[in-house]
Amino acid sequence: MRKLLLKCEKPSRYIGGEYGAPHAQWGKFNFCMCFPDLYEVGMSNLGIKIVAQSFLDRGLCADFCFAPARDFGDGLKKAGVPLYSLSLKAPLKDFDMLGFSLQYELSYTNVLYMLDLAGIPLSREERRGGNYPLIAAGGPCTVNPEPLADFFDIFFIGDGESTDADVAEIYMRCGGATEEFYREISALDGVYVPEHTFPVYENGRLSSFAGQGKVKKALVSDLDGAVFPERTAVPNCESVHDRAVIEVMRGCYRGCRFCQAGFIYRPVRKRSVATLTRQACALIGSTGFSEVSLNSLSTGDYGRLTELLKSLKGALPPEITLALPSLRADSFEGDFAQDARKTSLTFAPEAGTQRLRDVINKDITEEEILKAAAGAFDAGYSAVKLYFMIGLPTETDRDLAGICEICEKIRALYAGKKRPKALRLSVSAATFVPKPFTPFQWERQIDENEVKYKQDYLIKHLPRGVKFSWSAYYPSLLEAVLARGDRALSKVVRAAYENGCTFDGWDNLFDEAGWRAAFAACGIDERSYVKERDEGELLPWDFIDVFVDKKFFADERRRAYEGRVTGSCLDGCKACGMQKKCPAARGEYDSL
Amino acid sequence: MIAFKYTKTDGAEYLSHLDLLRHIDRTLRRAGIEVEYSRGYHKHPRIFMGNPPPLGVRSVSEYCTIDTAFGGDFKEAFNRFSPTGVKCVKATACERNPNFAQTITACGYVAEGINNFCAEELLACESIPVTDLRGRDVDIRPRIVSAGWRDGKLAFTLLCGEKNLRPDLFCGYLSQRYGGEAEYILKTESFGATVF
Repeated sequence: MRKLLLKCEKPSRYIGGEYGAPHAQWGKFNFCMCFPDLYEVGMSNLGIKIVAQSFLDRGLCADFCFAPARDFGDGLKKAGVPLYSLSLKAPLKDFDMLGFSLQYELSYTNVLYMLDLAGIPLSREERRGGNYPLIAAGGPCTVNPEPLADFFDIFFIGDGESTDADVAEIYMRCGGATEEFYREISALDGVYVPEHTFPVYENGRLSSFAGQGKVKKALVSDLDGAVFPERTAVPNCESVHDRAVIEVMRGCYRGCRFCQAGFIYRPVRKRSVATLTRQACALIGSTGFSEVSLNSLSTGDYGRLTELLKSLKGALPPEITLALPSLRADSFEGDFAQDARKTSLTFAPEAGTQRLRDVINKDITEEEILKAAAGAFDAGYSAVKLYFMIGLPTETDRDLAGICEICEKIRALYAGKKRPKALRLSVSAATFVPKPFTPFQWERQIDENEVKYKQDYLIKHLPRGVKFSWSAYYPSLLEAVLARGDRALSKVVRAAYENGCTFDGWDNLFDEAGWRAAFAACGIDERSYVKERDEGELLPWDFIDVFVDKKFFADERRRAYEGRVTGSCLDGCKACGMQKKCPAARGEYDSL
Repeated sequence: MIAFKYTKTDGAEYLSHLDLLRHIDRTLRRAGIEVEYSRGYHKHPRIFMGNPPPLGVRSVSEYCTIDTAFGGDFKEAFNRFSPTGVKCVKATACERNPNFAQTITACGYVAEGINNFCAEELLACESIPVTDLRGRDVDIRPRIVSAGWRDGKLAFTLLCGEKNLRPDLFCGYLSQRYGGEAEYILKTESFGATVF
């Protein structure tokens, strides 16, 4: 092992023993939280720590495992050492349950990579009758679990604070993964057992789901009192977000029509200023991080943000900086800028014209963007990043021209005053990916020629000096295919893995040829998955209930085409179907 | 200021220098030892470390200085909050920064696993040309201070700092010439005017 560690990049990813890591001990039930990406990515993820904590709080064992980089993975394989957990250094096979966190579609092959390295057969069918851990998945991607249905025994849909550990307790009571166990867990909200549900096809079209019936997502209504790890492991090597994280809110009031997170995490739930302050202080005290990040989908919408910032400033040591990663331009205030001591600010207008921003319900005006930029510049910022999407429904050249115009205006704004540094303006244009449980879930994705045309347009027309980056065509296509895919894709994911595809989310490791060959070998045209879907059609994820009505999505889609803004839930309830469960629907915006 | 000697063992030998710096910063914050910050735009804690040993080389002789007014029992406070393997051995208050990176000029190591050979014969060589990790040809003989066998282990002292010779490179050369492989390399001592 020592030789292998010294030969690979960043050996500290694989040695465990992090300061503050929960002391793992074998227990009555042994859970390993698996993250299908590198250590430094996974260690930044708050969700997996919450899930692990929910097991620890019940006196059960929880350990972690991350996908090893290819150099170490190959080394393990050659040495015949099965993939092991970080703290106990135990083979994954020895646990009772492996829980994979599915954060993005392009991590799917890494699930197979980890199972394979662990010596666990990839599919449920191959594991049948064998003595293997339960293979489970959670995280945002499980709202459409079908493309991975062949590989998992259980999918957790929705909030992971309690259901995962509830399943563990039923497992212990039933003495293993018995029929009774599956019957009992199927009755829980947030549990989907793919073995018990079958999509039924008639004439090549999905006609119904046989078996379990609708699966409701798990919902934690009291976020303030929910499980939260106040002590977390300090990563051995620098992680992508190397800081303490508190979760200010879950859910978002805004309802941007392309945004899956904005719908699947509804309703908005918050933590109190007192709880957040306590959690931030405990985290800084136990980890020694120098920064606290205030996470949510839109931290500017936290009604008591000023109070919270004041409370945190008062309670934390003076050198601790606060990061507000998800501020909308309209909630940006110069004050935060001065606190953060950062040089770069990021805004996401998403679309270049007001018309298209109205279409996507991105309720923000150019004036607001410019005002926020002006405030930032006056506060000393000299770098601005702008995020846009290309290929949104109804987009034309006029909208692309709008992107260029915003850049011109920001440049003029910066040049309007004497500033010590030159402006650095970067623009990133991702290709729109239609996602399940959004008003755009039926939309088509633009094809290769259109992507090329739009990217070329921006390369040609963006003002000089603007740094432009864009996403490659094929990975965005693949993301769209997997996001809206059905069960038939399991075999493609497997074929891609067998062709050597892993770490698909990493530009430098993405193997387009491997994926194309996988689709070809399975006789599936990937482009057929990104066509427009009919609103009357049954969609592969329709058996999942995230409590937002399908009709609401369809209405929102129509409003999009009419260019009508629906706006934020803060301006009144939009009756998305969630009303009974939503504090905001009762007018309780400030309640916790 | 406080200068302290610490270990890098029990897995900590796999931490990179920058990661170790972050760990020391965090250990100090957890321990409530307030460190002075630089006054630039990007403020950073005033922590001054000696030259890093190569990744994978264990050490019981690392040195570091921090700018602090802390008056308590530093060793106890540090060790209570430090990661496994990063433990303070000795600490002393000092007026000025001893600048360990510059003042430590040689380090002593022991290694196991290299086949027995005659150290005198090696030291008698006038020059020992090797190719370093960057592919350059260098004569390492002037950088070898001493080498000999102690309790069946190879003990050797190499220059460090400006005329640095990496112990793993040296052991690699010995493996090539005499066979065997250095399983464990441990830095046991540092030499310089400021060490304690």
